[in-house]
Amino acid sequence: MTTPDQSENDRSRDQLLAGEYVLGVLPLDQRRRVEDRIVRDAAFAAMVMRWQDNLSSDLDAEYGEERPPKGVYARIEKRVFAQNGFGNELARGGWWNSLLLWRGLSFASIALLVTYASLSTGWIGGPVGGSAPGKQLVAEMSGEGNAFGLRARYDGASGRLQLTPVAATTAERRSLELWLVPGSGEEAISLGILPESGSDTIEVPAGHRKRVENGASFAVSLEPLGGSPTGHRTGPVLAVGKIRDL
Amino acid sequence: MVSDREIAELIGRVGLRDRTAFTKLYSGVSPKLFAVCLRILKDRAESEDALQEIFVRIWQRADRFAPSGTSAAGWLVAIARNHSIDRLRARRPVTDALEDRTDIADLGPDPEEASVMRGEGRRIDSCMQELDPDRAGAVKSAYVEGLTYQELAERHGVPLNTMRTWLRRSLLKLRECLDR
Repeated sequence: MTTPDQSENDRSRDQLLAGEYVLGVLPLDQRRRVEDRIVRDAAFAAMVMRWQDNLSSDLDAEYGEERPPKGVYARIEKRVFAQNGFGNELARGGWWNSLLLWRGLSFASIALLVTYASLSTGWIGGPVGGSAPGKQLVAEMSGEGNAFGLRARYDGASGRLQLTPVAATTAERRSLELWLVPGSGEEAISLGILPESGSDTIEVPAGHRKRVENGASFAVSLEPLGGSPTGHRTGPVLAVGKIRDL
Repeated sequence: MVSDREIAELIGRVGLRDRTAFTKLYSGVSPKLFAVCLRILKDRAESEDALQEIFVRIWQRADRFAPSGTSAAGWLVAIARNHSIDRLRARRPVTDALEDRTDIADLGPDPEEASVMRGEGRRIDSCMQELDPDRAGAVKSAYVEGLTYQELAERHGVPLNTMRTWLRRSLLKLRECLDR
């Protein structure tokens, strides 16, 4: 049986452990145990976060600054961008062809894809914006663990983006917001909220069409219902995919 | 160092796999994060390795950063501190837990300090000032340099268990002061 005194003591003990972890005084094996607990115990994780915020706001200023030697960034870049096999995997069609994904596809979305495929051949229109007339681009977006995936097809002629969410499993009432991440390094542009089911098109504003090109990416983030309140991404990125020629 | 708002925005873009933003983030915050590595590891070559690893982690974790919550610079410094402290602990494994017999009930405020703890103020710096200067100093060097209880005890010339009690009591006082 837990008496109020005991649970008070447990709370203090947890507060201490969280504080000791953030201070950094624990040996390595205890650090690992604390990190495991952070993952599975939300109340404890909040204690750690609180200590983190409290101590860093006062003590991080103690560190000052020191420019690292030239050459370090080149090594980081090499590791990060070589390690980022996502683009390569897409190029090989690994994600799209994965058995797991197809197993997760609902009948409805397959049907929509088929409908789309037959409709798309009929798409006609004059050249608009910067993409080559009639050029078709595709991006397959997938998050870690493939909780859901999306296929985006862009038609350069009409400026229309065709989206098919696949195996979507968002539990709460939240919105999926689509972003265009220009290859040039400009800030991501919101293209709007994704429909909650099925396939739909989003019209890319004329001013942004020239940015839909090889090297740019589409990404989807999880946002409060109705989309990001700030115009910038506020939630986790669920999926990101490079745009390439179809 | 760039403003926290700018850092948050850059991390947001890095989460969307924006390489230009990653480069900008590196040039903006690497001096701070390198200083963290140097201060904790006290070895230039290892600090360079650590910095590489830290930026690889930033690239991998940027999509989990929620700008609405915590300070962006604090989030980055935490990644740098955690990695540097891990390296430090792996370098010299400490068998610190062996003689740890502190009871939580023994950690109430020192009688002579209890009266000082009544002041107002919820900010961490004012709460730090409420601690005995020696103990505030120990909290600070533990955080900033990643010292172990043993190293702190040596530096302050007190037995290990005394240092442990000092720091734990200080943590509980800080928590109480911040929650007040």
